Amino acid sequence: MSLKELFHNTTLADRILFSLMIVLSLSGIAFIKEILPDNFTVHIYADGYPAYILPLDKNRVVSVEGPQGKTVVEIKDHQVRIIESPCHNKLCIQTGWVRSGAVLCLPNRIVVTLGDPDKHKKTVDATTG
Amino acid sequence: MKNKLKVKSEKLIVFKIFNYCLIFTIFYILFTALSCSPNKERIFKKDKILMDTLITITVVSDLKDTAEKAIDAAFSEIEYLEKLSNHYSPDSEITRINRNAGVSEVKVSDDILKLLEKALYVSENTEGAFDVTIGPVIALYDFNKKIRPDYGMIKKNLSLVNYRDIIINRDKSTVFLKKKGVLIDLGGIAKGYAADKAAETLKKQGIRSGLVAVAGDIKAFGLKPDGKPWKIGIRNPEAKDKEDDIMATVELEDMAISTSGDYERFFLFNGKRYHHLLNPKTGLSAQECRSVSIITKEGAFTDAFATGIFILGPEQGLKVLDKLGFEGMIIDSQGKSHLTQGIRKKIEFKRTVS
Repeated sequence: MSLKELFHNTTLADRILFSLMIVLSLSGIAFIKEILPDNFTVHIYADGYPAYILPLDKNRVVSVEGPQGKTVVEIKDHQVRIIESPCHNKLCIQTGWVRSGAVLCLPNRIVVTLGDPDKHKKTVDATTG
Repeated sequence: MKNKLKVKSEKLIVFKIFNYCLIFTIFYILFTALSCSPNKERIFKKDKILMDTLITITVVSDLKDTAEKAIDAAFSEIEYLEKLSNHYSPDSEITRINRNAGVSEVKVSDDILKLLEKALYVSENTEGAFDVTIGPVIALYDFNKKIRPDYGMIKKNLSLVNYRDIIINRDKSTVFLKKKGVLIDLGGIAKGYAADKAAETLKKQGIRSGLVAVAGDIKAFGLKPDGKPWKIGIRNPEAKDKEDDIMATVELEDMAISTSGDYERFFLFNGKRYHHLLNPKTGLSAQECRSVSIITKEGAFTDAFATGIFILGPEQGLKVLDKLGFEGMIIDSQGKSHLTQGIRKKIEFKRTVS
């Protein structure tokens, strides 16, 4: 099947989906590039709002409520992972442990990022005193 | 025929929608590519240890080469000023002035003349609470080794402390110290002046926005790439941990800020704090304040007035600031904050203050 035939066989929905996928992929790259902070603090956002700011050096398990239900995040040995999620594909759980960057659960709109412990300092450009 | 027309019109709609999606995607890609292009203004930062402290220069530029060239030129300017003003260096102009105290006048550079003129202005406006001739008394202390001098020694050396013994001759570009043994120490003003000069150098190199932080003496000019002023954190003199390190923030544009605190160089003995901010009248550490932050145009003044007002105390200090039209915040020995009217609108506290 040639590319032309393949194009003619696609439906309107296919084409819209294809375009949206390109846009979403590019947005994803920009988003990850923008939010990836340094490692030391765990920031958990639920539906765009900060739910927890936790130290990375203290082992614990916390649950956070997203639009689809409860997502459970585990912090252990300076790593983070999602261990329970109401989402259907469980991609967030399959991501496993992360030491830097972020773990996302897009369906339940949960974002877990590893941030800087001196984030308050980063909000200033210099310190006097 | 009707069906054929319907199919044709449906195909046209599908084609149009597809085209719109395609155009949107192309525009999105172009937008992303342009926003990441190398011509966008960015922040460039470089650290260097000079004047016995960490100096950080931050500039906004759209070109890496321009930024780096400007930063290097600013560091060279600071290095040059350090060579002139370091009284520990055997070749500096200040050492030559000190060595010829009570003997002869010494020809000096324009920078040393300006620095000393500014120092004398601060001394006159703080009733001598800031005094660059404090050198002979400072030399008696060692804050690292926790050495407290004998009061007899302090008293003896206090006779050598008097800013009025500095005679500047502008026409001849000379400085003369009237008494033998007088020792100029520019530690309380040189860093702020260096921040001013470094900022000037950056501007001459075509930089429109930047931040020079000579330790806690900071000079800001222009705006950040996001169009906002530079945000400066003020250290908390009562900080117990890292989270508590910054007490307040203030936004600056074309202004300087300095803070003097009793937590910088100090040691504790029998519950008493001995720190480097010495009262030129007693030779002892000033006890009325914990920290003083000053904001005005010139870094040389923020640096020197922060020290002078720390020694004067909150009540007299606020009067001086009001008289000169400077902004400031004084934290007294009880932890109470005293603010000038102007700074109240600019400052944002991160902790509760009394």
